[in-house]
Amino acid sequence: MRDSSRALRLGVCGPVGTGKSSLIALLCRELAGGLGLGVVTNDIYTDEDARFLRSAGVLDPDRIRAVETGACPHTAIRDDITANALAVEELEAEYGDLELVMIESGGDNLTATFSPALVDVQIFVLDVAGGGDVARKGGPGIERADLLVVNKTDLAVHVGVDREQMVADATAAREGRPVVALSRTDRASIDALVSWVRSQLSTHTAGTLVPQDPGPMAPHFHADETGGTLHVHDHDGLHVHEHAHR
Amino acid sequence: MHAHADSLLLLLADARLPVAGHTQSGTLEPALAGGLTVDDVPFFVATRLRTVTRVEAATAVVALHRIRSGLKLDDVERAWAARTPSPAMRATSRTQARALLRLTSRLWPAPAPPVVELVETPHLDRLEDRRPTSRAVALAHAADRAGLSPRSLARLVAYDDVQTVCAAALKLVPLDPAVVTGWVFDALPLVDRLADEVAGLQLPHQIPASGAPQIEAWAQAHATATRRLFSA
Ligand SMILES: Nc1nc2c(ncn2[C@@H]2O[C@H](COP(=O)(O)OP(=O)(O)O)[C@@H](O)[C@H]2O)c(=O)[nH]1
Ligand SMILES: [Mg+2]
Repeated sequence: MRDSSRALRLGVCGPVGTGKSSLIALLCRELAGGLGLGVVTNDIYTDEDARFLRSAGVLDPDRIRAVETGACPHTAIRDDITANALAVEELEAEYGDLELVMIESGGDNLTATFSPALVDVQIFVLDVAGGGDVARKGGPGIERADLLVVNKTDLAVHVGVDREQMVADATAAREGRPVVALSRTDRASIDALVSWVRSQLSTHTAGTLVPQDPGPMAPHFHADETGGTLHVHDHDGLHVHEHAHR
Repeated sequence: MHAHADSLLLLLADARLPVAGHTQSGTLEPALAGGLTVDDVPFFVATRLRTVTRVEAATAVVALHRIRSGLKLDDVERAWAARTPSPAMRATSRTQARALLRLTSRLWPAPAPPVVELVETPHLDRLEDRRPTSRAVALAHAADRAGLSPRSLARLVAYDDVQTVCAAALKLVPLDPAVVTGWVFDALPLVDRLADEVAGLQLPHQIPASGAPQIEAWAQAHATATRRLFSA
């Protein structure tokens, strides 16, 4: 079903301000020399992301397309992916050399993840400034995106977050799935990110990549730390919602 | 086993159809930005039905007739484009057509909807005009495969337009959704009338040239706006 000769479709999601656009710009900068790239952004209210990426000068501006989501950023990456799929297909039709298309979600809440019908792999981006306990609280993207990036680790000391603890919490929540603690000032972390993307590209071209759905938000069982019993609850503190879309 | 045309009409009119309908406001977003108020929305809906949506519905009906008669569609596309002077509106229509064809080619796999070739159109040499299928014609292909009557097709175009504007109103100027559904309800006789009026058209030159310059100007303004929720 999946065509491994077309470009790999990489989704980047996560809350607003965690560094999704910056991460895409970073990957463009790191990969542009050797790879045919394209980018699709999903801004909620402006075309700021597309403009930021175009002005970053990391990619031919015409290879960066903005998709409007009609106030439904969630829908556009999950249940009606048509607008994004068309934008990707259009880029593919116009640029024969595409090997990697990155799609940035409109920063929604912690529950938004990409449909595997739109992307082959996805990165969920958190940042240390959002607080050390976000990773522990979990959610589909944090727990089951193909890669979790804990971004802006350079800020940890300034916002009173224990970087190692946050990464350890994230790793525990992910049952072995990879985590990259990223900062644009930390070369080794950039290399780790780039090498993860390259490994996804090889799996894709080899035809062995199977897109995974991180899943919608669902109630979870947690060990109750005080009483040692199990109870069911939604992730507290997370904004769980269902849009009623037209 | 084939589905009844009525059931297929319901399917095609359903907002849950994955054709990126959530990205469209039927030009309501720039109209509100241009000074229209909430109270004007029902009049806006009625105006669209008399003008731009009338062009769209008539084009779809004429295209359906030609598809069923085995005739070419290029002059239908040209007639539609000539009556849709806003390049932004034409581009939107063609994007919506691609979304629709993407879906209908799954629902009705063979034969693939014929690609319309535009010949010698020096006045239509803009990039977006090289992607010829308009939404009206794409809908006509779907209607043909679904066995819809011309009247049902026109009703589909008109109804979808009303719902698109009203659903966008709920996002842009939130109100009690029952009030907004009341606007849709009140517009239904206008939908019926439009369907009756265009159902019998067969020739491209019969497509009314009933554009609305103000709506087209808003569509143009929206295409370059930097703050917008909706694609168009
Ligand atoms: N300190 C620091 N700031 C970063 C880093 N990455 C991104 N940022 C900043 O975080 C802010 C939000 O980034 P942006 O990429 O627009 O986030 P988005 O909303 O998720 O796309 C911007 O001001 C970036 O400069 C990082 O590694 N370290
Ligand atoms: Mg961004």
